[in-house]
Amino acid sequence: MAHGLLIKNEDNEVLIDSDYIHYHFLGKYTHSSVTQVPDVSGGGDANVDAGGNSPNENKGMQNMPSKGEIYVYSVPVNGANPPMCFIKPTSTGSSAPFTGIVLTKQSGTNWEIRVFQSTVTSASPVLYCFSPLSQVSTTTASGDDYGFKTFNSSGVVTFDSRFKPLRAVGGGNITSPGLAHTGSTGSGWTVSLSVNASSVSTSFTSQSSASDLIYYCPSLAHACQQYTHEEDDSGIFDWESYAWARGDIWWCFYRSCFRIASTSSFEANYGVYARGHIYEHKGDTTSVFAGLILGALTGGAYFAAILATLVAAGSFTGANVDGGNYLPYENSYRNTSGNAFIISKASYYD
Amino acid sequence: MSHGLKIFDSSGNLTFSTVDSTWTLLGVFTSNADTSTTHTGVPIMPTRIVTRVMVDQISGDDESYVHTFSLSGSTLTTTAPSASETVKTVFMVFGK
Repeated sequence: MAHGLLIKNEDNEVLIDSDYIHYHFLGKYTHSSVTQVPDVSGGGDANVDAGGNSPNENKGMQNMPSKGEIYVYSVPVNGANPPMCFIKPTSTGSSAPFTGIVLTKQSGTNWEIRVFQSTVTSASPVLYCFSPLSQVSTTTASGDDYGFKTFNSSGVVTFDSRFKPLRAVGGGNITSPGLAHTGSTGSGWTVSLSVNASSVSTSFTSQSSASDLIYYCPSLAHACQQYTHEEDDSGIFDWESYAWARGDIWWCFYRSCFRIASTSSFEANYGVYARGHIYEHKGDTTSVFAGLILGALTGGAYFAAILATLVAAGSFTGANVDGGNYLPYENSYRNTSGNAFIISKASYYD
Repeated sequence: MSHGLKIFDSSGNLTFSTVDSTWTLLGVFTSNADTSTTHTGVPIMPTRIVTRVMVDQISGDDESYVHTFSLSGSTLTTTAPSASETVKTVFMVFGK
């Protein structure tokens, strides 16, 4: 820099550079509503009691893992750049729920932020938001003229201590786990898709109190896993011939989220964001049609038709979430690497 | 602290200190959905970090890839992994 102000710490890290816009405290926000992605659940039954051993169990969401909650926030900041929203989680430690920002969307003069928490709790996460000064209200109380202010070469204020500049105490990159569920995904008509992946941990500069920490780390990773099962049988029962076949598919869509595990440890894992189960079950007393249902279910017209019916039912609109089947791919994951995070303290801004 | 800088407000509260390790925003760059983009003019600092935010994500039917990136010198190269299912991504480069 030819002119201006440059302040570094003893590690040669830049703390204030008047050439660059600094983020300042915008405010502290609580959610305006809470929602969940509705279950996609349904199936078709046709003459299923034709055979004495036709399986009727688990046709709903039995044994499926619980979904997390989505908290909706409206942050009043008008500008092209989204605010940096730090999460003050409901709790910290190795048993705390995982929490992450899953939606950032400009809505009129506000930005809508959605925070996903892996388990339902009575307490709610709080957002501490930051923006460039150009997007922060810079009205000051009379006489509030103490402090420190820098300008860039165009005369634009880039740092003003009166508006609580962002103070970070740690940061780094974290990689989310690959699959959310490892091992068997089910047996028979019983599904097993709960999150059991080991949390990925990374360290940051140790702080005195974990419960005071807030973090910025938008969720990028997601995973989708499924379990399918089919059975069929035919024979003679009660002096009548019979045949039946049933095919099911269960799935979960997971979003990555995070927690402060200790005063120096940041962890990533998943929560169940959406889930579904559909099936087709048919029986007959006159003809034998073993199998073949599942193939139609997973790749054919039945699958598409029942999903379309369920998704079009309006439940997504009612829940204020984007519609869809939340089964965009099978038993895989996306966007797991290079999730940057920054740690700060709530007490700086309370 | 035995040396450095502390900044207080009019009530005597500490608002900034050189003991802190903060991050300065060096630039905000947006890569549109399904499009690979090279951004130039990224300021250089000894340590930099790149945060990514998926904007307007995520519908239930698409794979919702986030752009991947590499930062070298003053160039931020962003790549859309999918030509049809990569979401709009805002990159924020911070330095210290």
